Amino acid sequence: MDGNPLGPTRRDVLRGALAAGAAITLTSCGSQEDAPHVASADQWRQFQGATLNFISENTAPTAAIAANTRPFTELTGITINIVTLELTALVQRVALDLASGHAQYQVIYADPYQVLAPYQRGLVDLRTMQAEPNLPHLPGGVSDFIPAQMDAAGRFVDPNAYYTLPYDAPTMIWQYRRDLFDKYHDRMANDLGFDPTPSGERTWDEYYRIANWFNKNAGSDVKYGTGHQARQHDSLMNDFSNVLWSYGGAYFDNGKEVGRIGSRDPGPCRLDSDAAIAGAEFYQKLLAIADPASTTWDWDGVGAAFRAGRLAMCPNWHEFAASNEQVMPGKAGYSPLPRGPVTTANMYGGTGVAISDNTRPHERGAAWLFLVWATSSRTQLANLKSKAGGGTPTRTSVYELPEVRAAEKRPSPMPNMLTAAAVREAWQPDKIGLRPKIPMWNECNTAIFTQLSRMLTGGATPEDAMRTIKARVDQIVDRGWVA
Amino acid sequence: MTHAADHSPVLERARPESAKPKQPRIGFEGAMMTPGLILLAALSIVPFLALIAMSFSHVRLLGGVSLDLVGLRNWARFFTDADMWMSWLRTIVYFVLTVGLEMVLGVVVALCLFRVLRGRNVLLGLLLLPMFVAPSIVGLLGRYLTDSTFGLYAWVLRSFGYSGDILGSPISAFAAVVLMDVWEWTPLIALITLAGLSSVPQSVREAAAVDGAPGWMTLRYIVFPAISNVLLVALLIRSMDAIRYFDIIWVTTNGGPADATKIVPVRLYETAFRFFDLGYAAAIGLAMLAFSILIARTFVRLLDVRGLTR
Repeated sequence: MDGNPLGPTRRDVLRGALAAGAAITLTSCGSQEDAPHVASADQWRQFQGATLNFISENTAPTAAIAANTRPFTELTGITINIVTLELTALVQRVALDLASGHAQYQVIYADPYQVLAPYQRGLVDLRTMQAEPNLPHLPGGVSDFIPAQMDAAGRFVDPNAYYTLPYDAPTMIWQYRRDLFDKYHDRMANDLGFDPTPSGERTWDEYYRIANWFNKNAGSDVKYGTGHQARQHDSLMNDFSNVLWSYGGAYFDNGKEVGRIGSRDPGPCRLDSDAAIAGAEFYQKLLAIADPASTTWDWDGVGAAFRAGRLAMCPNWHEFAASNEQVMPGKAGYSPLPRGPVTTANMYGGTGVAISDNTRPHERGAAWLFLVWATSSRTQLANLKSKAGGGTPTRTSVYELPEVRAAEKRPSPMPNMLTAAAVREAWQPDKIGLRPKIPMWNECNTAIFTQLSRMLTGGATPEDAMRTIKARVDQIVDRGWVA
Repeated sequence: MTHAADHSPVLERARPESAKPKQPRIGFEGAMMTPGLILLAALSIVPFLALIAMSFSHVRLLGGVSLDLVGLRNWARFFTDADMWMSWLRTIVYFVLTVGLEMVLGVVVALCLFRVLRGRNVLLGLLLLPMFVAPSIVGLLGRYLTDSTFGLYAWVLRSFGYSGDILGSPISAFAAVVLMDVWEWTPLIALITLAGLSSVPQSVREAAAVDGAPGWMTLRYIVFPAISNVLLVALLIRSMDAIRYFDIIWVTTNGGPADATKIVPVRLYETAFRFFDLGYAAAIGLAMLAFSILIARTFVRLLDVRGLTR
C-alpha cells in the first residue's frame, strides 16, 4: 500500500519527537524564575509567596526549626522546605548544586571546613545583605554572636567579610558520671593523691589515671573508665586534636590563625614536631586503657556507650547533654577538657548558615530573611526549649536571658544548658580548639585520621604516624585547591 | 499487486542502473533503533567520553563545570600513588576470598540441597533470604551483630575468649566484611548450581552408581563436567559484582581501621565525592572499568571456547 506522499514520514515523526523532547528538557533545565516580590511597607513581607529550600545536616537546631516552621511562614509569607542529610551527603549535594549554576538550595548549612573553606566563592558575602536598606538588619549586628564562633564559622581569609552566621556550636567537653565520681571521690582522692573532680584544671595525665582507676576499682558500676570516638573517621581527628593542642602541637605554623580565619596556603605541616609526637604518644597510651570498642565508635557510638552505662567518662560534643539527661537524668556532669603540659583546647565543631551565590536577587533577599530569623535570639531560645531539637545558642544575648541562666541548674527545662558553664569556658579565644580552615581540609583530615587509626591498631608508632601525616598533608597542600 | 514477471532476472538485468530505487541510508530497523541508540549514547557513551576527558583535566565546579587540561598528571599520580596500589592489592585479595568462598560454599550447599528430597523448596526459600536484603542493610545488620556492646557475634566470640573488637582491628574487620558478602551472595551461587545439577541426566548418574563409582568420582567425572558451564556463568556474575563492592564496607567500617578495608571502589567514592578531585577520580574509574573488562573478557573467552556464547 502506498503511503500519503504529502503526510509526514516516519523519519519526520521521529525527528519531531526528538526535537520536542530536547526542547522541553532544555527549557525545564534552563529556566529558573526569581522569587516573587511585592512592594510592601513591611520588610518582612516583601517576598511573600516565595519558596526557599534549606539544606542542612541533621542537627539539633534544624530538627527544632523543621518541627515548627510556621512562625517563619507567618512572619514572612515564605514557605521553607528543609532537607536534612548526614554531613558527607550534604557536602556532596552542596558542591553539585554550586556547580550547576542554579540555586536549588538557596540556604546552605555551611560547615566551615567542608563547605565554607572549599566553596567560599560560591557563597554570598553577607555584608552586602546587612548593608541593604530594604532588608531587615541583624538584631544586635554580628557582634552579638560569640566572637570566636563568628570568626571560626563565618569568615574565611578576609577578616572583615563574613559568609555565614553562626548557627550551631557543638564543642567537645569532658562528660562524666557525676554519681560515680561522688560515690568514689574519697577513695580515688586517697589512691591517686589529687582531687579527681573533673574541671579544666585537671591534666590529661590525671584523666588517664582516673580512667585507669575506674578500670581497676569500679567494675561493678562501669566496664571502662574512658571511651573515645576513635573510629577511622572525622571523629578520631577531633578526639586526638584536643590532646595534640594541649601538648603544644599544631597542624601548621600560626595554627590559631589558620583555625580562626583560615588560609588558602597554610605552609608546611608541623605534626613532626616533638610536641606533636609527645601528644600522639600520650593519645596512644590513653586509648590503650580505653574501651577497646573505641576504635569502632564515632561521636554517636561513644555517646551511646556513655548513656548505656559502659563508661565512667568520655570527651564528646556538648550537645549530647540533652540525650544524656533523657536516659540518665541527673547522673551526668560536664566540664571543660583537661589541660596538657602546654595549654588547654576544646574542639569546636560549629557551623553557620549561608546563602548560595547562585541565587537570584529576590531569592537572595528571601534567604536573608530566613538567616536573620533562624539565628535570632527568639528562634534560638525556642530551639533550646524544643522537644524535637535542642541545639545551643550562638548569641551572647541568649545566654544572658534570665530563663536561660536559670536553666543551667537542675532541674533544667533546657538540658543542653547544663553544659553552659563548661562551654562558656571552652569558647574563650585561648581555650577553643580550631582545626585548620583550609580548602583542602577534607583530604588532609582523611590522611590524618587514617594514620591515627594505623597508630591505634598497632600499624605504626606515634612518631611514624606523625611523620607520615606530615608528608601526606604537605603533598595535598602542595597540589593546591581549585574549586 | 505486482506481476511475478516484474521480478524476472532478465528484466532486472535489462533495467538501467540509474532506475534502481535508492535504498535509504538508515532502514526501517535503523529508524526504530534510533531512540534506543540515542538513549544509550546519553547514558553510556557520552559519560564515558566525558570521563576520558576528565581524566586528563582538573575539573572546576564553581560557576558551572569546566575542565582545565592537565595532560597526564592524573594518570602519573595514579601510577605512583602507593595508597592506591595498596587498595588494588586489597581489592584483589577481597575479590579472590569472596568469590572463592562463595563458589565453594555455594556448590557444597547446592549438592546438599540436591540430595534433600523432602522439604527442599522450604529449605531453598530460607536459604535464599539473604540475597533479597539490600547490601546496605546487610552492612547495618553486620555492624549491630558485631557491636561489642550488644552484638550477638561479639558475645559469642567473647565466650570463646576473643576479647578484641571485631570491626576494630584490621584483620578481623577485613574478615568480617568478606563474610558479610559471602553470607549475602552464597545463596545465589547455590541457586544457579542447583539449576545446573537438575540438568545432569538421571540415567548417567544411575549408570555411575551401578558401575560402583564412589561419590567423589561421580562428582569429579560426571557432575562437575556437566555443570561447569553453569558454574562459569555464576562466577562471571559474582565477579562483576564483587569488583564494585562498596555498600557493606561503607556502612560498617568506612574503609578502616587503618585503611584495612579500603578497596578501590571506596577510594574512588572518597576521591570523587569527598575530595571532589573529579579528574583523579575519573582516572581511577577508568582503571576500574579496564579491570572489569579484563575479568569479564577472561570469563567470556572461557565460555566462548565451550561454545556457550553462540
